[in-house]
Amino acid sequence: MTITTAATRSVSKPHVAAGPVPTPIAEHLASPRTRDVIVVQNHLLAGARAYLADEGFTEVRLPIIGPVTDPGARGAKQVDVDFYGHRYKVMTSAILYKQAALTAFNRIFCIAPNVRLEPMETSTTSRHLAEFHQIDVEMAGVSREVVTDVLQGLIKHMVAHAVAEGGGELERLGRDPQDFAPLLTHPFDRMTHEEAVERLRAAGHPQSPDAEIDWVGEAMLSTAADRPFFITDYPKGSRGFYDLENPDRPGSLLNFDLLAPEGYGELSSGSRRENDYRRIVARMRETGENPAKYGWYLEMVRAGISASGGFGVGLERFTRYVAGLEAAWQASAFPKIPGVATP
Amino acid sequence: MSTLDAPTFPAEEVRGRARIGPAAVFPGADGYGHTLYGQDLAQIAVDDIDRLRIVAPTFVPQRLEALFDLAREPLYTDVELDTDIGGFRSTLPCYLSAFGSTQVASRDLGVAVSAQAGRLGIPMVIGENVVPVNGYGRAEDAQTASALLARLRAYANAVGPDTGGVIIQQSTEDADAEVWNLVYSDPSATALLETGRLGFELKVGQGAKPGLGGMTVVDAATAERLNGAYALDGDVDFGGRVLRNSSPGTFTDEILRQQIRLMRNNFPRSRVWVKLPPSRDVADAARVCWEAGADSVTVDGAEGGSGWAPLSFLGHMGLPLAECLARVEPGGRCLLASGRMWEGTRIVKTLALGARAAGLGRAALLAVDEDPQAGLERLVACLALELRMLTSALGKYRIGQLDITDVWAPGTPFRTVSGSAAVLYEDPVAIR
Repeated sequence: MTITTAATRSVSKPHVAAGPVPTPIAEHLASPRTRDVIVVQNHLLAGARAYLADEGFTEVRLPIIGPVTDPGARGAKQVDVDFYGHRYKVMTSAILYKQAALTAFNRIFCIAPNVRLEPMETSTTSRHLAEFHQIDVEMAGVSREVVTDVLQGLIKHMVAHAVAEGGGELERLGRDPQDFAPLLTHPFDRMTHEEAVERLRAAGHPQSPDAEIDWVGEAMLSTAADRPFFITDYPKGSRGFYDLENPDRPGSLLNFDLLAPEGYGELSSGSRRENDYRRIVARMRETGENPAKYGWYLEMVRAGISASGGFGVGLERFTRYVAGLEAAWQASAFPKIPGVATP
Repeated sequence: MSTLDAPTFPAEEVRGRARIGPAAVFPGADGYGHTLYGQDLAQIAVDDIDRLRIVAPTFVPQRLEALFDLAREPLYTDVELDTDIGGFRSTLPCYLSAFGSTQVASRDLGVAVSAQAGRLGIPMVIGENVVPVNGYGRAEDAQTASALLARLRAYANAVGPDTGGVIIQQSTEDADAEVWNLVYSDPSATALLETGRLGFELKVGQGAKPGLGGMTVVDAATAERLNGAYALDGDVDFGGRVLRNSSPGTFTDEILRQQIRLMRNNFPRSRVWVKLPPSRDVADAARVCWEAGADSVTVDGAEGGSGWAPLSFLGHMGLPLAECLARVEPGGRCLLASGRMWEGTRIVKTLALGARAAGLGRAALLAVDEDPQAGLERLVACLALELRMLTSALGKYRIGQLDITDVWAPGTPFRTVSGSAAVLYEDPVAIR
């Protein structure tokens, strides 16, 4: 476990301010700044598709609605849809379908729309959107290290592509290509959740050792870094049932988050996945879920699905970081901020 | 007008208190001066808590401390009843228990009782199944809003700035309806969340039917609507109405531990409560809850529950509350108890046995049934008066000072304050 820059810089309390207020939609769309952001986002996506195609991934279109979705979103409500008399859900993430799709291909990805009715408190965090997109990636038969290597390669390639193709837009947005030099030239650091908790507590932040790193904690760690870095091995009880529990360290998950530098916080979450039927059912109960509603998924798991790993990168958050935006909503043409009724 | 029946509960006494208020704590004043009173032999003890005696001392060093503070002889009116209940400031050691989805709790009584609980500044638990059974009217106006939102709003509109709290219960099958996610992300809950007065309670089980999930009797139209969300037992025919069952949920120590941790993780600004059934391993379950970070653990004695349950379960299933309290060791953490609470002596005894506060269930429903506008407030006024008188008689002036020395079980030796609740029942023959 190497900790270089992220560990050697001091961790301090960041200034967590409310982001700018969304402008009326016509004004937002007509803004040259919005156009520059969308162009940068296009370059990022083009870079992602090129990189993943080179790595042998097939782009699959995953469902928008289904009988069940990812229950793992922190405190966010799912959206119900009446599907001919059946209660369906709008995807909060496509995780279950990603695992299922490996029945057809060994490596898949999807640019997936997600909806999460986040708590009202997230309306002022600058980083939460009720509607957003993820670059969702899943691969069969891989270690966590392979998964994080693919993610690191993907992020580097996307940024390099955006810098190469969207230099003018980035310049107008106030981004200097040199801002990304550490990202493009160095491997991403890694620290365990336990180490992250120790650092935050040493800096006076009361981070719980058996929960997610909270937003203030993430911002503190992120501010201290000059390039993205991984936090690994989150405790069970902080994530959904599909993150694989480490057989050598019960209670600890073989998962990770990728955090952006400069205070931008979490960009991506991923893990090795549980694929054993009995373990998944037990983990569903541990996460308070009723296995009955996961019928189609458990049927597939019982018949046997691939051991796999993968991640999702929040597209608007990543765009926010690369474009240097104050708030994630600025990276969306039609932003939906939690609790704010917009078109 | 009376619409509720409670044949296994001292309903008339509760209704009298709800109607009259604190004067009902005493015998009728019309007998004063010419009636000889004494212990009512008709009040035969019905459980081990009833059999306990509250035993006041002659020597009262804590009264001396109060005398120093006040510079006069303390009176029962000097007893401070406010306490911390599972992370919420409460004006007295009582909270409103969940009523669940049973018909008695689904009517306007739920709203009436919520407003009064808010005015009183005591925490209120809103029960499981309220959303899946009655719906959740997020997009609807206030008049048609579901039971949960209506109760939440009634409480929030009535409560003062720094007391009370609302705790939303969820059980295994409520998870399908995402009751907690829904409340946590709803604008109605914002004011309570921002003042630290929202909590979530994981319902592991209940006193009336430990080992079974929620049960209601529903009409054919409701059955049609719920089909798919709940199991319906067509073999139990109530003249066209159907029995609806919830699963009790599968728990192991690891499942319970991780569910609590996930609650803390997902809802960092809410308090975490757990309600346990009167199970034989209640002590282990409570320990797991506290170690996983629960702010409060409620033990529902076998005497508890306002809801529908099989007679076999009502009569024979589960540990009595006294035995639950004897087994659980709170060790300074918040233990709550419910089961047939309606007057001060049972609450004082429960607190002496280690609980922090007592839940009002049937008594609260009966009180608002008697008077929807002020019945609960009068009932609680009676409780407060009794709690103050009883506590001061024990030479204590803060409700949290009650302990095991304040009660005595016939047939057992006197204990010192170092004696644990377990010691109380080391000779079960003596008290049963």
